[in-house]
Amino acid sequence: MTELLFRVSLYSPAAIDRALEAFAPFADFERQMRDGVEVVRLTAKPGEDEPLIAGELANYVLGATVDGTDPKTVKET
Amino acid sequence: MSEDHQVSADQTPEGVVLSFDESIYPKDAVFGAAYTLLDRCFVHIDREGTKLQVKLRAKPGAALSTELLAGEFEAEALAQTWRRDIVRESQALIESVTTRALAGAAGPPGLDDLLDEDLGDLGDAFDDPLGIAVSWEDKYGKGEGTAADAATKPEPKPEPAVSEEPDEGKEGP
Repeated sequence: MTELLFRVSLYSPAAIDRALEAFAPFADFERQMRDGVEVVRLTAKPGEDEPLIAGELANYVLGATVDGTDPKTVKET
Repeated sequence: MSEDHQVSADQTPEGVVLSFDESIYPKDAVFGAAYTLLDRCFVHIDREGTKLQVKLRAKPGAALSTELLAGEFEAEALAQTWRRDIVRESQALIESVTTRALAGAAGPPGLDDLLDEDLGDLGDAFDDPLGIAVSWEDKYGKGEGTAADAATKPEPKPEPAVSEEPDEGKEGP
């Protein structure tokens, strides 16, 4: 299992939603909010490369945050 | 790699960790720089106090050293920050030019636009302190022999001066 941390003041929660939806065929996810940080735990499906999926998921969230920043969902701290 | 107050870089077994002072490198600039490297490395951004911490890990098969990635990231972050400064400095000029262009495209102003326009010390657009807009009739009244009539009426031609008396001195003997 790999744990990814996305600070809500930096990453858009909507972008995390989109990323989890896009990567659902490759891994199982658990999501939790903890002290202003979205914690995503991922477990790759059999035959999938977990470090690769974790890296690509983080990139996807970053890209989606830049592409479609929604000011209502991103909070500055 | 560089090590100062604004940017620092640390090699880790997984890759490289860069720290940017957020007062110098705004969040958007760092995200913009990260965006340009998404195809070559895995990027994760976090915040540590006033610093943004960027973790870079080369993608499998990418022929780039982490040092090179870190250098490229720093250069791109600087470029993005500078670009934002330029945009902020020239924003007023850009807005002014755009407004003029749009106003020009809308065509000449109508009567209502002119009436609504604030002329400041010049007063209202249709103020007429000299009474130029007052019609002739209002100013001088209607009816008999106005100066306008006099101006338009053709003047009578003067009669040629013909003497009816025969010129006695010219008569022959």
